[in-house]
Amino acid sequence: MHQSQTRAEPLLTARGVSKSFGKTQALTDASLALRPGEIVGLLGANGAGKSTLSRIISGHLRPSGGDIAFGGTPLALTSTRDALRRGIALVAQETSLAPDMTVLENIFLPDLATPGRLSFRAMRDRAGELLSGLGHEHVLPLDAEVRLLSAAQKQLVEIAKALALDARLVIFDEPTASLSMTEVNRLFDIMARLRDGGRALAFVSHRLEEVFAITDRVTILREGLAVAEDVATSTLTQGDIIQHMVGRDIGAIYTKRTAADTVVQDIAFEVRGLSSAPYVRDMSFAVRKGEILGLGGLVGAGRSEAVEAIWGLRARQGGEILVHGKPVTFRKPADAVRAGLGFVAEDRRAQNIVPDMSVRENLMLAQMGQHRGFGRGYGKRSAQMTQLIADLGLPADRLDTSLLNYSGGMQQKIIIARWLLTDPEILILDEPTKGVDIGTRSSIYSILQSAADAGLAVIVISSDFEELLGLAERIVVVSDGYTIADLPAARLTEEKLTLLAAPRTSTARNQALLRALAQDYDADAFWTLIDGEELICLAQAGRSLAGLPPGEALRAEETNVSVALAARHDDFVTEADGDRQTLLVQMTDKRGHDLGWIGVTVAGDATVPPSDEIRARVQALLHAEEESA
Amino acid sequence: MTDVANEPRGPGTLSTIVRSLEFRMFCLALTLAIILSLSSPFFLTERNIFNILDQSVVIGIVAVGMTFVILTGGIDLSVGAVFGLAGIVLAQLLQTMPVPLAIPLAVLAGAGIGLFSGVLVAVFGLAPFVVTLGVMAIGRSLSFIFSGQRSISGLPEGLDSIVYSSFLGIPANVLFLIGLYLCAWGYLSYAKGGRTIYAIGSNKEAARAAGLSVTFYSVLPYVVSGALAAVAVTFSLAQVMSADPMAGSGLELDAIAAVVIGGASLYGGRGTLIGTLFGVLIMVMIRNGLNLMGVSPFWQGTAIGSIIILALLAERLITWRSART
Repeated sequence: MHQSQTRAEPLLTARGVSKSFGKTQALTDASLALRPGEIVGLLGANGAGKSTLSRIISGHLRPSGGDIAFGGTPLALTSTRDALRRGIALVAQETSLAPDMTVLENIFLPDLATPGRLSFRAMRDRAGELLSGLGHEHVLPLDAEVRLLSAAQKQLVEIAKALALDARLVIFDEPTASLSMTEVNRLFDIMARLRDGGRALAFVSHRLEEVFAITDRVTILREGLAVAEDVATSTLTQGDIIQHMVGRDIGAIYTKRTAADTVVQDIAFEVRGLSSAPYVRDMSFAVRKGEILGLGGLVGAGRSEAVEAIWGLRARQGGEILVHGKPVTFRKPADAVRAGLGFVAEDRRAQNIVPDMSVRENLMLAQMGQHRGFGRGYGKRSAQMTQLIADLGLPADRLDTSLLNYSGGMQQKIIIARWLLTDPEILILDEPTKGVDIGTRSSIYSILQSAADAGLAVIVISSDFEELLGLAERIVVVSDGYTIADLPAARLTEEKLTLLAAPRTSTARNQALLRALAQDYDADAFWTLIDGEELICLAQAGRSLAGLPPGEALRAEETNVSVALAARHDDFVTEADGDRQTLLVQMTDKRGHDLGWIGVTVAGDATVPPSDEIRARVQALLHAEEESA
Repeated sequence: MTDVANEPRGPGTLSTIVRSLEFRMFCLALTLAIILSLSSPFFLTERNIFNILDQSVVIGIVAVGMTFVILTGGIDLSVGAVFGLAGIVLAQLLQTMPVPLAIPLAVLAGAGIGLFSGVLVAVFGLAPFVVTLGVMAIGRSLSFIFSGQRSISGLPEGLDSIVYSSFLGIPANVLFLIGLYLCAWGYLSYAKGGRTIYAIGSNKEAARAAGLSVTFYSVLPYVVSGALAAVAVTFSLAQVMSADPMAGSGLELDAIAAVVIGGASLYGGRGTLIGTLFGVLIMVMIRNGLNLMGVSPFWQGTAIGSIIILALLAERLITWRSART
């Protein structure tokens, strides 16, 4: 545990940093202070500017405004090399290693830029020193080519590379995303050593459990603004952090139907158990005619990869796709187009726009893919197109000009119209409002809404939870490649969605425990977060007694175990009607942070399992983690 | 809609034409013609004009196939070698079979070679430059082997009729060239396949995601290119009545130059057959004009190379200026 009464002077202070990319303002007023001997968590929702800020500090990007001081003097970096020379290193998700060179060469890659002869013997000795300083001298073969290493080993090379330059400040940008639990613990051990060696560290992550496990303080960004700065981690709860990340700013740009308006229609499209390595592990969802389904989750959760796999753009390892209840396999996009699907891909420039073609040709592109015949098939769609462009507010006399002359929002509307022209029955849109101004956003929403009203099944992927809640009737939450919840939007809030979407390193371990408990005691075992009266059930196994389905967000009185939830007693608590007995055990990490509760419910007339034994099993699990760390 | 006000105004038809690259290339061809007719009294004679058209046939036909390939973002370095090989194949076939059977078979051979390159490029994802470089070496080597390292002459009478017959005073080979350009232009502009070829060159990912048959239409241009190289050699053989294993060396560079002068982008997606036609005419006119003026053939390469570079440079400067305004 790291605690100091008098804190060191900051090594790096950033004040009022702003950054814009064209018209998009990625950062407006971000601040950050990093001190020697401390790990600061840099948090924020998708697009809050965490990565932009890290990339500015590490010299990848130049700020548009603001002051950054490093070691007391103003810092104006011209390149990443400049940053490295001053002792600032970034360990990023996508590593900056040269895959065909050896570990040793990679660690000393920056030295290749210095004139003079290199001494491989000296380098080898120094590399050994660095790695043993990290406690890992045996894990890394110095002569192995980097492309043969695991993700965790590559990260270690990155860290060693930073240390070879004697980096005083290291930023870890989502370093744990592709690591196993043991590897995460090993990384945290290294981070703790670096901190205790007097370096300043920043830890950018979505994973709240990990933030609680390793950081001393946190800074939270929201929409490019620092909303909580340099707050001691020990004073915060998950709820506090999420409140800061989400904030409140609901506009009236959504015109949503209420659930009562819609008659339950047939399922138009269904995916069961889809997997596509490495991002999509097990995803299932279904969408009905006339329904807008939201796929929510964090960037990198595997949503885009899943729809690309459906569309035939990625290899599938498993899973079934059903259109109107009939199994189909799309080997290439043309198959999907002809089966009545439409797909607005995530990256407008790379995947949707044909830059050398006119507006008309871009509009007609998908219908040409659908058309069978020698000609372009424009004739049969021209009346429909005239109607559609009038709806979009696009003058007919500019159809033959270049698409590139139009704003991003108009381009996006044209791409959506491209698919509407094919008369699809199912329309999938990946981040349809990314980089689109607010005015065009609301017109995209109404286009989608009226398409749904006309009977289209619409699937919208969005990382903007506010948008998702406003637009979709039902939301399927995706986390780490799994669909973990399927809920009506009306029952969700941004906070709950953020909690559900947060990837949890402990998920697999906890699920195994739940299965074991359920089997051993013939019980209903569940894992839930409790925030006042609100519950969010993260996983469940065994019989259905407690009334806490996984992925559901409920109030205590809505469950079958409200008495036990209110009591939170050390032993089994019997409900008022005597039907059920429930034990709740809180899980806390070694620093006292709440990781949720494990509940075990058995029938009222069953023999009560030994509560000490269950508590011991939960504790053993938490303890095992600390041991391996 | 509020965002419409910010969108650009649609330009008029006239300004679209004036601003188009084809129009500028037309102006360049016209300027060249005027300069050449001023400097040589023989340039603007009926005989010489037919001469120019006649000389345009071979390179013009090959340039059509090259346009297809370049529009997809590829390149076909093998056309010269395919031209030579198809010529030898045709000459050998003509020893044993009649003209109407031998020509289609030779064209089929050219198409087959194109299919080979196309599959390697589009299905196996190999770089077009390297694949067609390899096919070029193979093709040239095979034409030496099939010919026995010598020219094949003594081709049957009747082959020359495809060149030396005429309709309304226009020679058959020129008529064929005009017909070919019309068909190919119509295909590239109005057929699904043609538009798919443009879409592939402009953004292959978007074309694939929109359900277009990207693989098929990535292979097709190479097939067209190989087949047209064989068609071109047929006209060439009919004129000289002998097949040389070295025939067509350097033809690929002329064809690429014509397409590029015609305004196509080597990255794909941009270019037209009208532009290519002007590119062909400009190249042939320069050669013809320099010959008339008695300039040494050794200087012609310098002249053509300079004009290619100047045309591209001017184009780039114009694009920069219009981007800034």
